[in-house]
Amino acid sequence: MLKFIAKRLLSGAITIWFIATATFFAMHAVPGDPLTQEKAMSPAVRSQLEARYGLDKPLIEQYQLFLNNMLHGDFGISFTQENRKVNDIIREHFPISAILGITAVLIALVGGVSAGTVAAYYRNRWPDRMVMVAVIAAISVPGFVIAGLAQLTIVAMNNAAGKTLLPVAGWGGVNHIWVPALVLGLGTMAYLSRIMRASMLEVLSADFNMAAKAKGVHGWRLFWHHQLRNAVLPVVTELGPTIAGVTTGGFVVELIFAIPGLGRYFVQAVQQLDYTVIMGTTVFYGAFLVLVVVVVDISYGLIDPRIRLHSGGGGR
Amino acid sequence: MNLLELERLQVSIGPVQAVRDVSLSLAPGECRALVGESGCGKSVTAMSLLNLMPAAAKTNALRWDFAGRDMRQLSERDWRQLRGNEIAMIFQNPMTALDPTQTIGSQIAEPLRIHKGLSKREALNKAIALLERLAIANPAQRAGQYPFEFSGGMLQRAMIAMAVVCEPQLLIADEPTTALDVTVQAEVLSILRELRESSGTAMLFITHDLGVVAEIADSVSVMYAGQTVETGSLIDVFSHEAHPYTQALKRAVPDMANPQPLQAIGGTPPDLRHPPTGCGFAARCAERMAICDQLPPNFACKSRAEHYSRCWLWHPEHPARWREAEQ
Repeated sequence: MLKFIAKRLLSGAITIWFIATATFFAMHAVPGDPLTQEKAMSPAVRSQLEARYGLDKPLIEQYQLFLNNMLHGDFGISFTQENRKVNDIIREHFPISAILGITAVLIALVGGVSAGTVAAYYRNRWPDRMVMVAVIAAISVPGFVIAGLAQLTIVAMNNAAGKTLLPVAGWGGVNHIWVPALVLGLGTMAYLSRIMRASMLEVLSADFNMAAKAKGVHGWRLFWHHQLRNAVLPVVTELGPTIAGVTTGGFVVELIFAIPGLGRYFVQAVQQLDYTVIMGTTVFYGAFLVLVVVVVDISYGLIDPRIRLHSGGGGR
Repeated sequence: MNLLELERLQVSIGPVQAVRDVSLSLAPGECRALVGESGCGKSVTAMSLLNLMPAAAKTNALRWDFAGRDMRQLSERDWRQLRGNEIAMIFQNPMTALDPTQTIGSQIAEPLRIHKGLSKREALNKAIALLERLAIANPAQRAGQYPFEFSGGMLQRAMIAMAVVCEPQLLIADEPTTALDVTVQAEVLSILRELRESSGTAMLFITHDLGVVAEIADSVSVMYAGQTVETGSLIDVFSHEAHPYTQALKRAVPDMANPQPLQAIGGTPPDLRHPPTGCGFAARCAERMAICDQLPPNFACKSRAEHYSRCWLWHPEHPARWREAEQ
């Protein structure tokens, strides 16, 4: 198991290096730079600034410097936000994105698994049809439309109640989390319901399900020990990439609900070609996702003994 | 008194009349083989005996008694207490019939937890003891392993352990050796035989392998197109086979002592969505008569006691009479 984790972490490090390198050169290939602004700058000021930020050095040297700093966990200072350190931006705003994202993934997971199970149990009857229609709607309507609709609903609700039941936007209390997290997780929830429905249908017609019933297993025990555990495997596999989707989707939702998460800064940085912020957030997100995928793989092994022993090399 | 009395069982799944007329009886401790080709309704009969057919299936029987109870009156709650406890089942393919995510030990212990109210520890100890009895080396360690770590023969032994752990009165074995290779087959058969001798469990042994039947069964019921067509003791059915289908089956099995070219049975079984009005086997029968297409034969008694054949040839009134009527 340890060997397995070490292997995954090593390949993760290579992935992060690749992401960093690709982003670095892509950034520098884009026309313009963070110092290009509407107002023309005198060459003297410009060269001074370039020297300050190290932009006067050859590209390879800049790359080495960047990698070296990155290894020490230092992403430098922002070009556009007066001397603010990229590390500080991440430290202050990432937790907000993370809380939003984790809540969204949990809502998607619990909702998707439940809806998929109900659909499979009532195959081709009305609960199944309802779930499937909702799934198609949730997958095809873009997140920003759903976000707008959600805000309108909250406004209508608050008006009808005559007081503020739920805040429309902003950040701070527990009540600020639910609606944006639901909006953010909705597409994923729909996607996971479909996977769960298919795999649960497979389990329901599997021999081992019949054999368990023939032993007298029924009710919750049958569901919990035999059906859920097998049916949830494909869902867990999808969870890693899904979390990536939720994180990127977070950029839009954060903007609409005025949530001061990291996504907002990332979008802003791209617009302003703020090299250090782009590099920092990209590498950080990359590392985060790699870590998440490794964690998902490990949890997959906990549910499915076949994975645990085969790739773990720790077999008996 | 017989343990199981089943008369005229009928099961239809949508338009398919999978089981049209099956009658079976089992004495305590008896091993009856249920023989027939694929699709003749053997497995549907087995699943019906545990009331595990899908909700869409309609089941009907003239008489269905088990251990003195009328099974047609049982609620789903009663059935749950019965399954795995009084009637248990061994499935055909142990590779798919064991849950891949649960340890072998916990799967064998599960019926004890449900039906006998044993604690986790007690149930697991019993499961380990049973594995040991079934000649699995290192049973304690093996019990902690998962199905994918077991070989096919060991898996089938685990499957058998799972079925017999509550010492059921009736064990239904649905082709328990079909998915296994020949050497493992012999091993599994000897385990089943031993279990029968030591525990006195009655067994309904479903198979299409006549060689296996000869090794394990006391009595035989032959099924064709959803009906039992011949039933009797092993000697009756094997040495004095009465139904033309049974006779044809036997000609299709190689005989090493008296080698002859094998004869396949021509034609195909009838479509059970539209079963024939007369005898189901008439279309493939060498001794077909006019009446065979018109009226379904009933079980008529052959000369020997308790040996029945669903064929006009064995009608108490001489078959020659029907041949005459044709002319």
